[in-house]
Amino acid sequence: MPDEPLKRWICLGCGFSYDEAIGLPEHGIPPGTRWTEIPEDWSCPDCGTPKSRFEMVEIGYAAGQPSLPLAA
Amino acid sequence: MSQSFTLRAAERGHEKILSTGPTASYVGGHPDAFVTRWSSFNFHDYQSGRPGFGKIRVFGDETFNHPGCSYSMHRHHNFIISAFVLSGTLTHLNTLGDNDELKAGDFYAFSAGSGGLHEELNLKAEPMKAIYLWMLPNQLLLPPSFQMGHFDRVAGMNRITPLLGDQAGAIPVPQDARVSRLVSDEPNTFVYRPRSPAHGVYAFVLEGEMRCDGTLLGSRDSKGVWAADEIVCKTGAAETDVLFVETVL
Repeated sequence: MPDEPLKRWICLGCGFSYDEAIGLPEHGIPPGTRWTEIPEDWSCPDCGTPKSRFEMVEIGYAAGQPSLPLAA
Repeated sequence: MSQSFTLRAAERGHEKILSTGPTASYVGGHPDAFVTRWSSFNFHDYQSGRPGFGKIRVFGDETFNHPGCSYSMHRHHNFIISAFVLSGTLTHLNTLGDNDELKAGDFYAFSAGSGGLHEELNLKAEPMKAIYLWMLPNQLLLPPSFQMGHFDRVAGMNRITPLLGDQAGAIPVPQDARVSRLVSDEPNTFVYRPRSPAHGVYAFVLEGEMRCDGTLLGSRDSKGVWAADEIVCKTGAAETDVLFVETVL
């Protein structure tokens, strides 16, 4: 579903947010990676909460966020 | 036509979290230390029951037992975490530089925003009892913030006092939400008016008894009401203590 908007997910254990547009390059997940493409046994890098206990959210960012990594 | 759910005290999720074994890195303290947590809502599928209400995700009625009992220093993002101390002494530490001691009536709101760590600690022999409330924020990765307040039981007697939200005297939080407290020591009728019928109100009886929107609630019973212009609450002669959490749905 390439036309589907990119989504954001929030960890219900600690509040860590995952944004499909940004991915988690520092954890080997490139930008644009859909939530469904992340392995089911993946867990929150901050608190270890399993993927199944994240909630999809439609919340915008605060001013100046996200602070994107600089292009190489 | 208003809608509602009623949650009786014993219907809540219950956990006893030990400071030994698999949860030792999570709960700190003397080997006898443990946290008990009665949860009105649940962390998604962590427990059975309601997944939340409006922007509320956690409403924990918690006791830290034995000196040193704590949630060890750990990281958060985004959630607005608040604690309302009911008895005992809570030591709260966070990476914004706050190191505070809270007693009965004290409360705080910690908006974790773009990231912050905190520790919740009971250093005393007396158990520390508090309500922990987590809400989703209205924006992601906000600058972290922390503020403390105090509910004055005498000045607040027989009226609904705003604690968190946009009303005068309350601590602002980055969400369309309000927390208020009512302590009553006489038979009375209090009318809670939510900002709009699109807001829900979660009324939790800390102690005593109250008829809320037609339902008699005892200690630790609660009721969520929405699509209502007003919520009529009737108290009796015995002292009654209630928290109201209003949230956009």
